[in-house]
Amino acid sequence: MSALTIEFAGSRYRFGGLHPEQGHLVRSRFEALLCRDETPPDVDVDVHYVPNPGAFMRRPPGPVEYRIGVVYREAAIAVAGIGFTANIDRTPFRAQMQTCLMDEWFLDGFENLFRVIACYRLFQEGALVMHSGAFTDRGRGFLFCGRSGAGKTTLCGLAAELDLPILSDELNAVMPSGNTFELAAMPFAGDFGGVPKRHPPYPLTGLLGLAHGANPSVDGCSKAEAVSRIVASCPYINADPTLVDTLTSRAATLIGRVPLKILSFAKDSRFWSVLDNEYRSADATLSR
Amino acid sequence: MSTEAQTQHYRVDPHARFRVMDDEGIFVLQGAGEVLVVNEIGAFIVEQLKSERSLDEVVAKMTERYAVDADRARSDVGSLLDELLRAGAIIRS
Repeated sequence: MSALTIEFAGSRYRFGGLHPEQGHLVRSRFEALLCRDETPPDVDVDVHYVPNPGAFMRRPPGPVEYRIGVVYREAAIAVAGIGFTANIDRTPFRAQMQTCLMDEWFLDGFENLFRVIACYRLFQEGALVMHSGAFTDRGRGFLFCGRSGAGKTTLCGLAAELDLPILSDELNAVMPSGNTFELAAMPFAGDFGGVPKRHPPYPLTGLLGLAHGANPSVDGCSKAEAVSRIVASCPYINADPTLVDTLTSRAATLIGRVPLKILSFAKDSRFWSVLDNEYRSADATLSR
Repeated sequence: MSTEAQTQHYRVDPHARFRVMDDEGIFVLQGAGEVLVVNEIGAFIVEQLKSERSLDEVVAKMTERYAVDADRARSDVGSLLDELLRAGAIIRS
């Protein structure tokens, strides 16, 4: 059995009980985020190998996209996916994973569970983990939230063509920092995947919702729409009855400090000059 | 909305959370993680449904608060209730 600790966005997650094959898979994927095991973790996750595939959701015969099942209980969150089940205790915050997997399917289950654990851990720390795309430019962080089909991956693709560094096109964390917020990369990427790497936090300069339009523009929106877009973008937490009120209040606090605006864009690079100009003006206003 | 529907009572689904922000209203539909936004008048209507109300009762509140005749209010309230029922934000009781 082996254990390893993964660190990102200011939190450390220790996974114990890993079989050597499982440990190798996780190390290969999260190598850049590993830290020394003697560092005290913020979250302990115990992995138990159960060599009984009949006890778990079966593997499909071919490639498949599926949603894990999540049940929100008062004391714990139950998670189930292909080849694994898990329980996340709320207090103290820790998790147990049972799995019959040791091959690449294990890594899928591991990442699916890790997403949920990280969303909860970072929410405890005052953060919002949002379905979003994010890129940076000269120390400025831009985050655009929205569910599947909103255009996150498209916009990340356009930003990448402009050599703007992409943090993730799937999940990003917005962390409180004094009176403002920072953008922290999460090691869960969609089409802009690859091996996760360490990123410094970036000041959250632009917080955006997405809309499609023939010509690029940045427009304001009502407080209710802004809050609703943020709440709708926060997976797991927005479906948890014990946390949804806190989430809504936190979203209102966020937009009070970093207003959410709506970026309309077409599938071309013109969005960037509009966005850059919008937030360059804001910087200039603040510095006067 | 049918006569039968008019005699029924409505209330916010216990699995939904509703909050007013700057006059607009936000529904968070737990479980689904869906969010709905309603305008000022919609928020006023939903506020009435925090306790169980019939269509007639909501229409009466509408005509007290806004300069709108009962027929128009009944039509508008009925449409909104239908939409909110379909979305799972309110329930019949």
